[in-house]
Amino acid sequence: MEQRGQGWTQERIVFALAVVLFIVAALGLRGFADPNNLIAIVRSVSVLGILALGMAVVIIGRGIDLSQVSVMAMSGAWYLQMLNDGRPEGMALLTVLAFVVFIGLANGFLVAYGDVPPIFATLASGAVVYGLVRSQFIGSETVPLPPGHWLEALGRMRLVTVPVEVFLFAGASLLIFLFLRYTTWGRYTYLMGDNFQAARTIGIPVRPMNLLRYVISALLAFAAGLLTASNLFSINTRVITSTLLYDIILVVVIGGIGLSGGKGGVRNVVGGALLIGIMLNAMTILDISNIYQNLIKAIILLAAIIIDSLMNPRDEQTAQQGDI
Amino acid sequence: MTAIIDMRKVTKAYRGVAAVKAVDFTLEQGEIHALLGENGAGKSTLTKIMAGVVEATSGEMLHRGQPARFLTPNEALNAGIAMVFQETSLVPSMTVAQNIYLGEEKFLNRLRGVYIAAQQFLQSLNFNVDPAAPVASLGAAKRQMVEIARAVHHKADVIIFDEPTATLTPEEKRHFFALMKRLQASGVSIIFITHALEEALGHADRITILRDGELVATGKASEFDRAKVVQAMVGRALTQQIYRKRNAAHLRKRGAKVLSVQDISMGNMVRNNSFSIYDGQITGVFGLIGSGRTETFKIISGVYKRDFVRGGDIELDGRPVRYNVPRQAIKDRIAYVTEDRKSEGLFENLSIAENFFSGLVAAGLQESSIVSLREMRSLSEQWSERLKVRAINSRAKAVELSGGNQQKVVIGKGLVQRPRLVIFDEPTRGVDVGAIAEIHQLINDLADEGLAVVVISSYLPEIMNLSDRILVFRQGRVVEEFSPVNATEEKIMYAAVH
Ligand SMILES: Nc1ncnc2c1ncn2[C@@H]1O[C@H](COP(=O)(O)OP(=O)(O)OP(=O)(O)O)[C@@H](O)[C@H]1O
Ligand SMILES: [Mg+2]
Repeated sequence: MEQRGQGWTQERIVFALAVVLFIVAALGLRGFADPNNLIAIVRSVSVLGILALGMAVVIIGRGIDLSQVSVMAMSGAWYLQMLNDGRPEGMALLTVLAFVVFIGLANGFLVAYGDVPPIFATLASGAVVYGLVRSQFIGSETVPLPPGHWLEALGRMRLVTVPVEVFLFAGASLLIFLFLRYTTWGRYTYLMGDNFQAARTIGIPVRPMNLLRYVISALLAFAAGLLTASNLFSINTRVITSTLLYDIILVVVIGGIGLSGGKGGVRNVVGGALLIGIMLNAMTILDISNIYQNLIKAIILLAAIIIDSLMNPRDEQTAQQGDI
Repeated sequence: MTAIIDMRKVTKAYRGVAAVKAVDFTLEQGEIHALLGENGAGKSTLTKIMAGVVEATSGEMLHRGQPARFLTPNEALNAGIAMVFQETSLVPSMTVAQNIYLGEEKFLNRLRGVYIAAQQFLQSLNFNVDPAAPVASLGAAKRQMVEIARAVHHKADVIIFDEPTATLTPEEKRHFFALMKRLQASGVSIIFITHALEEALGHADRITILRDGELVATGKASEFDRAKVVQAMVGRALTQQIYRKRNAAHLRKRGAKVLSVQDISMGNMVRNNSFSIYDGQITGVFGLIGSGRTETFKIISGVYKRDFVRGGDIELDGRPVRYNVPRQAIKDRIAYVTEDRKSEGLFENLSIAENFFSGLVAAGLQESSIVSLREMRSLSEQWSERLKVRAINSRAKAVELSGGNQQKVVIGKGLVQRPRLVIFDEPTRGVDVGAIAEIHQLINDLADEGLAVVVISSYLPEIMNLSDRILVFRQGRVVEEFSPVNATEEKIMYAAVH
C-alpha cells in the first residue's frame, strides 16, 4: 500500500492507543512491564493473530470467513483423533490438509460461483464442518494430544526464552505481508476489495481469487489449531461456542482493516492483536472476571465497527445518502 | 432580483491545498446560472459546499439573506437545496421508483402505488425510464435521468446539476433543457456545471467561470462569447480548432479486419447485430440511449455474455471467440474503457499509481514477477504526465480527483494494457475543452500506430471529428454506416431515430 501521511487515520489512532495503554499499564500495574509478562502478552495473542491474518486476507478482498474457528477446532481435533487411533503421522496430516483445502475451496466456490453472500456461505459451512467432524470422525468433545508427539515438544520449545509460537506468528505475518505486498495476487486482493466490478472488467481473475483467499484462511485456521494443541496438549471443540470468532473480527477491525474491503494490511493485524493483547493482560492483572472481560470486548467491538463504518464510508457522497 | 444564495469569501482546502479560494458567488432568485472551468477548477467543490456535502474551511454563506451552514446534504435538502452529483449516488440494488422516493418512508406498504406515481412523474419529465427496473441494470445516462428526477421530485427551490448532460444524447439533452426552463418558470433557481460551452451560452442567464479555485469572471451570459469564455477558463486564447470539417484525404484507410461480428443477440438489448472493425482506423459509434451500443461492445469485451442459443458469432482475426469473463478478452488484447467510471472504472480508495498499475498487473504485463513499487511509481508518473492528470499531490486517492481527472485515469488504466483493439465508451465525458483536444490527439495517435479503435459517443461533433467511419445503432443493431465526409449531423440523427 502506498502510505498516506496525513491526518488521524484509524491505524494511527490504534497505534497511539496501544502506546498509551502500554504506558499507563506499565506505570500503574505491578508486574505488567516485567519481560516475562510482555512475552506472555505476545504469546497470548499468537493464535488469535494467526487467525486474524487469514481473516484479514478474506476481508481485504471483500468478504468474511465465519467458518474459521470451526475449521481450526475441527481440523485440529480430527488430526489428533487420527493420531490417537494409531494412524501414521503423514497420512493424518495429509488427510486433514486435504479436508481443510476442500473447505476453503467450498467457501470460495459458494461465494464466487454460487453468488452466496460470504457471511451466509461461511456461517453454514462452519456449521457443516462442525457437525460432520463431530459426528463422523471424533469420539468426544475434547481430543488429547498423544504423549510424546512433536507438537508437545513444539509447545515447550523456547528460543532464547521466547516461546516458539511468537516466532510462528511473526513468520506467518511475514508470509502474508509478502503475499499481499509483493505478489500479483496480493494486488488483485486489494483491487477486488476496492471495486469488484472494476476489477472484473479490467481482467482480474476474480473468481479464482475468491477460492485462493478462502483457502489461505482455512489453512491458517488449521495452523492455529495445531498451535492450540501444542499449547494445551488437547483440543476442546467447545471453543466454537466461545467468543474467539468475535475476537478475531475485533482484532481485524480495530487494527483498521475496514470491513468494506480494499484497505489495510499485516501491520494493522499486528497492531490490533497487540492492542487486544495488552488490554486483556491488563484486565487480567486487574483481576476483572471473564464475564466482564467479554462484555468489555463486545462493547469495544461494537464501537470499533461503528467507527469503522463512519471512518471508511464508501465515499463522501454516497455515505451521506444512506448507501449500504 | 434578490440573491437566494450568497457565498462570501468561501475557501475550501483539502489537506492544506485550496480547491476553492475566497470565492464570492451569488445565485439570484429564479435564474439559470452556468458554472464553468477546467477540470479541477473547483466547480464541484464549490457547489458541494452549498449542498452540505463538504464543509467550507472559511468564509460564509447566506441563504435567503440568512447565514446558513449545512452539515449534511439532508439539511440542505430540507432548506430546499438539492444537488445532482457528477458521479451518481443512487442505491444500485433498489429500483428506479424506490430511489426516487428514497427517504420517504410512508411508501413501504404501497409499492404498486409508488410505481404508478413514479411512472407518471418520469413521463411528465419526458424521461423514458422503467420505474420498476433496478438501478444496477441501467446505463450511465438513465442513471443520470433518475438522479435528475429525484432532485426535481424533492421540490427543491435551488437545484444544482453537476455535469448533467455529460452522458445524455442530443435528444435527452433537449428534454433536459426544456425541463430546466420549466423548472425556472416555476420559480426554481438553477446552477448547472458543464464543459459544453455552447450549452452554457445558449441556456444560462448568467455565467461564472472558475480557474484554479478562483473566480475569474462572472456576468450575464449575453456578455460572453465562446472565445471570451475560453480565455477566462484557461487564461489564454485556445486557438486550436477541436471540431474541424473532414475531407476524404484526412480519412485513414482500413487495415486488416480485426473483428467480425455476425448476428449477435443478447436478450432484447442487442438483436442480430452485425458489423466489422478494422485495424488502423477509428470506428465511431453513435446511437441513442437504449440502442444497445454499450451492450454490444461489452459483449465483445467479455463483460456481458451473449445469448447462448442463437447468440451469433464473433471472430477475432478469423478465429471464433466466446468470452465468459473480461479476462479472456484482455488476454486477447481487447480493452474496454468504461463510460461508468464510478461503478466499474475506478478503484476509488486506492492511489492514482495503484489505479494505473491495476491495468498492468491484470494483464500480466508488469516487468518483474514480484510487484515493484518503483515500477508502479514510474508507470504512474509516465501516464499522469502523458494524460496531464492533475491532483493535489502525487499520493492522492482516485476519489479525491476531480471528475475530468478521474476520467483520464480510467483511460490510462485501459491503455497500459497495450491493447490492439480498444473500445472507448464516452471517452471525454466530464473532460474540459483543453483536455478533450488532448484526448482526441491520443486517440488519433493510437489509430495512427495501427490499433483498431472504437469510439462510442453521444456527442455528434466528437463522432464526426474523430471517426474514419461511423456506425449508427438503433434498437440493438447497426442500422447504417456513414463516411464522415458525406455525413451530416442531421443524417446521423435521422438514422438513429427512424
Ligand atoms: N476529497 C478530496 N480530497 C482531496 N482533494 C480533493 C477532493 N475533492 C476534490 N479535490 C481536489 O480539489 C480540486 C477541485 O476539484 P473539483 O472536483 O471541485 O473540480 P471540478 O471543477 O469539479 O473539475 P471537473 O470538471 O474535472 O469535475 C481538484 O484539484 C481535486 O483534486
Ligand atoms: Mg466536477
